[in-house]
Amino acid sequence: MESPLHHFEVHTLIPIHIGGLDLSINNAVVAMWVGLAIVAGAFMLVVNRGISPIPGKLQSVLELVLEFISDLVFEFIGKEEGKKYVPFITTLFLFILACNLIGLVPGSYTITSQVAVTGAFAVGIFIMTLVIGFSKHGMHFFGILVPPGVPKIMIPLMVPIEIVSMLARPISLAVRLFANMTAGHTVLAVLFGLALTAPGWVSWMPFGFTVVINGLEIAIAFIQAYIFTTLTCVYIGDVIKLH
Amino acid sequence: MPQFEQVSVFGSLIFWSLVSFGLLFFVLKKFAFPPILNALDEREKKIRGDIEDSERIKEEAQTIKVELEETLKAAHGKAETIVQLAQDEAKKVLEKNLQETEAKVRQVQKDAEQEIQSSRNKLLQEVRSYTAALTIASTEKFLKKALDDADKKKLVEESIEQVIEELEKRQNN
Repeated sequence: MESPLHHFEVHTLIPIHIGGLDLSINNAVVAMWVGLAIVAGAFMLVVNRGISPIPGKLQSVLELVLEFISDLVFEFIGKEEGKKYVPFITTLFLFILACNLIGLVPGSYTITSQVAVTGAFAVGIFIMTLVIGFSKHGMHFFGILVPPGVPKIMIPLMVPIEIVSMLARPISLAVRLFANMTAGHTVLAVLFGLALTAPGWVSWMPFGFTVVINGLEIAIAFIQAYIFTTLTCVYIGDVIKLH
Repeated sequence: MPQFEQVSVFGSLIFWSLVSFGLLFFVLKKFAFPPILNALDEREKKIRGDIEDSERIKEEAQTIKVELEETLKAAHGKAETIVQLAQDEAKKVLEKNLQETEAKVRQVQKDAEQEIQSSRNKLLQEVRSYTAALTIASTEKFLKKALDDADKKKLVEESIEQVIEELEKRQNN
């Protein structure tokens, strides 16, 4: 029986090497592009048709996503400050959701199951929050390391704890998404392997489970995209409001 | 675990995912989000405006309703007053007419009675006059001489003629 982790392997399709860097196009990247093309295609289709005051089905879905993310951003960042982050956060949500969902298509690949990718996004967002914090508050931004109401004597203890807490944010953000995607797909692979190898009279059981787990994975795809987006909003909101 | 073992693909995965994200962000932010967000804003404004308008119209309608009710009430009151006044006036006119008619009837009756009385008095006066004249004339004749029946008759006839002449004379006067 094939290893259930086998389908996490990346296969190069078009090798590209620039200055010692391997920028080859592989199956993970192609699957991601397909997902993103669907997202961009849906939006462009609606925009090219013309935005109607009475929305159609597709326009309604896209408006729903935008409103949902806008409300999320306004809740954690604030209405005035949050407006400029709505496009970024919405794109982030749609990007993760598309990558998560496209990976559920058999033979496809979930790029969000790669810790390098989730890590890059998490670190990118962490750096972005630092940039926002320093540009908004200057040196006062270091105040984020001292929670309000902490006695002065506790400050030497609280600052290292807050630093660790801050650094843990990108790690937890990256690992949560990667681990959830990996675990889900591994379970699916194990169950499907069982369905293929088990005797005919009992193989319907693991196959039935794959169907159920696949449904669950669709929900998890949405939930993980939502969590990643929400935490990003929380982190940005924190550095803007400084607690 | 391949995700930790295939280190050589990390560069390509990170590069393409970030570039793809950037591209998607650019495309959506530039072409897709503004019209959709504008449409959402406009719809929100329109709905809010419509709700405010309907609230305002409802308040106006309420005010108009109250005003109409007051006007209607006032009109009812006025109409009642007018009807009452008309009834009072009609009653007054009726009473006045009745009184006038009664007075007229009474006057007519009184006039008639007076006229009857006057005629009666006049007639009695005349009868008295005739009788006196007749008596005087007859007595005069009886006193002058004793007469036979034919003479007496002649005398009475003459007296009567004399009385008639006297009456005609009076009448002519």
